Parts: sequence; C-alpha cells; structure tokens
Amino acid sequence: MTGTSMRPPRNRADPRAVRWWTAQWLILMVPVAAAAVWAYWTFTDRPMWLGVVVAAFGAGCLALAVGAPRAYYQVERWEVTDDAVYTRKGWLTHTWQVAPMSRIQRIDTARGPVQRLFGLADVTVTTASSAGAITIAALDHQLAADLAERLTARTQATPGDAT
Amino acid sequence: MTAPDKPGGQPPPGHSVQATAGRSAEEGGWRAPAGRSVVASAVKSLALVAAAVIGLVRLFTGAGWPTWGLVTACAAAAVLIVGGVAAYDVARLRSTRWRLTGERLELRSGITVRRARAVPRDRVRSVDLRADPVLRLLGLTVVKVGTGERAADGDELTLDPLTRHDAETLRRTLLRGAAADEQSGERVDRDAPLAELRWSWVRYAPLTVWTFAGAAVVLGVAYKAAERLGLEDLAEQAAGPVWDWVTGHPLPAVVLLLTVNVAVGALGAVAQFAESWGRYRLDREPGRLRLRRGLLTARSLTLEERRLRGVEVREPLLLRLGGGARVKAIATGLGKAGDGETEDVGALAPPLPRPLAWRLADAIATGDARTDLGAGLVRHPPAARRRRVVRAVVLVAVLTAMTGVVSWSVPWPWPWMGPWMGAWVWAVPAVAAPVAWWGAVTGARSLGHALAGRHLVTRQGAMIRRTVALERAGISGWTITESFFQRRAGLVTVSATTAAGDGHYEVLDVGRGDGLELAARAAPGLLEPFLVRPANGPDVSLH
Repeated sequence: MTGTSMRPPRNRADPRAVRWWTAQWLILMVPVAAAAVWAYWTFTDRPMWLGVVVAAFGAGCLALAVGAPRAYYQVERWEVTDDAVYTRKGWLTHTWQVAPMSRIQRIDTARGPVQRLFGLADVTVTTASSAGAITIAALDHQLAADLAERLTARTQATPGDAT
Repeated sequence: MTAPDKPGGQPPPGHSVQATAGRSAEEGGWRAPAGRSVVASAVKSLALVAAAVIGLVRLFTGAGWPTWGLVTACAAAAVLIVGGVAAYDVARLRSTRWRLTGERLELRSGITVRRARAVPRDRVRSVDLRADPVLRLLGLTVVKVGTGERAADGDELTLDPLTRHDAETLRRTLLRGAAADEQSGERVDRDAPLAELRWSWVRYAPLTVWTFAGAAVVLGVAYKAAERLGLEDLAEQAAGPVWDWVTGHPLPAVVLLLTVNVAVGALGAVAQFAESWGRYRLDREPGRLRLRRGLLTARSLTLEERRLRGVEVREPLLLRLGGGARVKAIATGLGKAGDGETEDVGALAPPLPRPLAWRLADAIATGDARTDLGAGLVRHPPAARRRRVVRAVVLVAVLTAMTGVVSWSVPWPWPWMGPWMGAWVWAVPAVAAPVAWWGAVTGARSLGHALAGRHLVTRQGAMIRRTVALERAGISGWTITESFFQRRAGLVTVSATTAAGDGHYEVLDVGRGDGLELAARAAPGLLEPFLVRPANGPDVSLH
C-alpha cells in the first residue's frame, strides 16, 4: 500500500462559527436537558440515584453543546483553487469533497436567521450530479459573497457544458 | 379521417427541410394527428362498456326488470360511452396541431385550455415511440420527443398518435439533424444489430424473487378483478373448501402450495419477459443507440451516445447462480419509468448469458466487443474482508443474545405443541450465521476496481453484484469518506460523482493509498493538488 493521503484544505471556518454552532447546539440541547430535569422533578419521587443519572445526563448534554462545535471547528476546512473547490468535514467519519470548476453549475449563498445574528453565511456549490453538492459552512458573510462572485466569474470562464 | 396521410401539400415557408412524407393542407405546415385515433379510442372504450354492462346487470337483475329492458339499457350505455369517448377524441384531434420547421418542433393542443409548445430541434435528445396493441393494429404510434436535460414532466412533447410511417420519418429527421455533423450513414439499419432476442434467454426470466412472491400477487389481482366483476361471493365460496382441505392435510398442502406458487410465478415471469422483450433489438445508429422491444406494446427508445456515461452489469443472486446478467445504461437525463412500465428506463437488454452481457456492455461502452472491461479487476485489501466478517459476527452475536433473552423471558405461546417446540426460535441465529458468513465472504470477494482505457470500473455487492464502468471524462468530482472503523483498517470509500445514472458510483473499502491514487489517475489533475505523498513516494505508474 502506498502512503498517499489527502492534505487538509487551507482555510478554516470563521472563528465566530464556534459561537454560532454552540448557540445551535444549545437551542437543541437545553430543552432536552430541561425536559429530563422537569420529568425527574414531577413524575418520580426523586430517588437519589436517579437524580445523579439525570444530573449526569444534563451535564453531558451541555458538555456536548460546548465541546462539539470546537471539535467541528478543528475538522471543518475548505479551499478554493483556480481549478477546484475542496472541503473536509466530519468528526468520526471524515469526508473530503472535490468539485472541478468546469463542472460547477450553480453557486448559492444561504444565511439562516440565527446565522445572520453572527454575520455568517454558507456557500453551496452544485454540480450536475445529484450527489455532488458541496457546502462551505459558516463563512463571514462578506467573504461568502465575494467567494460566490469569484466562483461565478471563474466557472463562466471555464468552457464545457458542465455534465 | 385520412387527411394526414395524403401526400403532397406545401412545405413550411422558408425551409427546405421537411420531415414527413405526408402533410395536411393546413396553413403554415400545421398538421393534425392521425384521424384513425378515433377508432382506437372507441375500441379501447369497450373496456369501459364491459364494466358498465356488468354494473347494470348486477344492479337491475335484482330489481326485476324484463330482459329487453336490460338489453336496451346496456345498449344505450354502450352507445353513450363509445360515442362520448369518440366525440372527445374527435374534439382533441381537431384542437391538436403540430409542425416541424427548420428550427423547432411545435405543438398546439387543448380543447378548453389552449397550449402552444415548442422544442428547438437542436435540443432534441430522444424520440421514443410506443404503440399498444390496439394502436399497432391500426398502424399508429405515440411519439414522445424529449430534450433529455432534466427529464422533468414539462420537458417532453407528446404527439398522440401519428401513423407509424410519419412517426418513423419524424424520428429519423429529428435525430439525423442532431447527429448530422458526426457521421452520415443512411442505411445503418441494415447493419447487424448489437443484440437481438434469442428465445432461449427466456430461461433466465424466472430467476427473480418475483417468481417466489409473484403467485400471491397474481392471486390478489385475480381476487380484485373478481370483486370488480361482482364475483367475490363465488371466490369466497371456492376459497372455503380449499381452506378446509389445506387445514386438513397440512403437509401435502404446503408442498402443493409452494409448487403451485413457484409454477405460477415462473409462468408470470415468462409472460412478462415475452411481453417486455419480445422482438427485442438493439442497434447502433450514428451517434445513438436504438432499443426496440415489446411483443404486444411496441416500444422504440433512442439514446444519444453523447448522453451515455458508461454501463452497468447487474447480477442479482438468482440470476448470477443461473449464469445470467443484465446490462443497464448509465446516461444523463434518463428520467423515471412511465406508468405500466415493467422495465427500468436504463435497461438495455433482457437477462442474458453472462459472457454475452459482458460483450454487449463492452460494445456499448467502448465500441468494441473485444475489450474486456470486467477483466483484471484489482482486489481490495484483506482488511475489507475482515470488516465484513466482523460485521457478520457482531450481527449474529446480537441475534443470538436477543434469541436468548426471548426464549428465557417470553413463554412459548403454543404450549399444546410441546415444550421442546420453544427450541425452534434458535433456528433464527442458526440460519442467520451461515447466511451472514456467506454475505461477508461474497461481498468481500466481489469488491474490485480497475482503470480500463476510458473507463473507471468498480464492482461491489453480495446479493446484487454490480459492476459499473463509468467513463472517466464523465466524472464530475470526488467524495472520499473514511469512517472511524475504516480509518483503523486503513480503508477509504472513493466515490466518483457524475451527472448520469445514480449520481455517484463508489469504489468501496479500497486501501487508502490505492484508492487515492486510483482517483488521481482516473481524472488527471483534479485530485492531484490535494494529495500528499511520502517524500520517497511511490512512482505513480506503479500500482
């Protein structure tokens, strides 16, 4: 077996992404933890051992909400060269995606409501393949707009019918 | 009614290109569909008449009507239905006009809501003909013209119906225009076909799971039909004694039922094969493939070769054991199978003997039946096999544990059968173990990949072994995934994305270095800038 491997893409997400992802995780996890505590308080006769389990569960949820975004930030990377868009993502399962400029058909930027509070945007690059969409997540929104413009100009300059 | 078939008339203004031999005297070259369509509609409406007559008879026999009244009512209903359908069809035909100009194929239609549609001729990618038995007897064909880009609903233009001669001329004209600059072969039809039906292939028809499930389906359909015809009482009366006999003699009944099931299923499969693939013929015309098939309903599908991105050879388990295989096209803009179609849109051939299937796949993909795309596949590392075996062992262990829990905690629900019957649950893990083992070993053995000329070849699958030859020029990106367990085993899954077929085709569980080098060589320059090789790295040309 050869020792060839993928090198990490050059750029990271915007540092504010950590806060945004944390907010997202909290929006998901705080109700879960609260529901567990509330159920423990109302539906059981509050035995000590169950209290410890519920407390551990709640703490685990919060730890995940704080820890996971930081882990993502370490892993999620992107790069745009003259010829291709290249991303890496995933924590347990690593995924690298490469799409050549000549095959790119559509470039979208998207900003969710919470995302906008943090001044972030996603750029999605779609090829003719039903499986080939690549998303560069959580960029500074100005950077995302510039990138989308650059990609559009670049793909228009590249010949080919993109299939 | 025969106006559209009259020869003569003026060509469309300003254009020397006129497709069709016959044309109506409409202004501007506008032409009507074939008037004989009214006859076809009337004939087909007889099915409605039959249903109505049965309904009337059922309704009024109880009401004590005299026979002549009943006959009159039925006759009136028949006249009304046939007349109504025919009138509707006349109105439809009168409001439908089409013409072929130098640039466009145009269609105006709609009785109440008028619609005008046009397809530029240089964007026509497919002209599919279809004629059900009634239309065929009348020499008519429904023509579907597609641009093949997104295969969306509004993308197709349907001419329903034209005479067979007009349809064939239109097909040839539209597609010759598209492939004119590539080659000019007029009488290619006379060449030997790529493939032609041999009735001996029918032996592969029953080799599907439907053979074993089919009889139940047939029985269900038969019962539904009986119910529709008001014969459900009869069906239930017949079912009663049959059920008594079955419960009376369980062992011979089970054997008999299984035999009948398989026999009926096999018969159904053979009948379906005959209807789908009777008169099958695959031709290569300049720049395109033409598939003709269908014993009763005749279908003609044309696929432009520039839309073709590769071929897939599928070997489902039963067919594989019988030595057969199927060939599918990987092409862009193929869309979905229409209503009542039993075959995949990409299906290029009925189940064939495996060597023949491979020769056909080679011929379609490379233009030369002697290249062997399926040969010389590189096997994947032993870690891939280990992964599958571990998965199988874990699965069987979980099943065994669950069986243990069930047999320990749940009492056997039929105690009259004796306590030892409870041991039967252990048959589940006992059967699962060899099956899982077989799946793991077979799955590992079928893994393979190769670069063969213009194609990337990859194979996988235990139940259905799929070998895909994807044109390297059609690769529009790569997705490389490495799960936690794959990372520990030094494996990756390299997936080539493409605009055609499934959208992506995987090289499953390949060694990390091998997989990346394969991807780098399959689409030169694309992956190269993102790879790191060890300083004394291996020569790329070595494998």
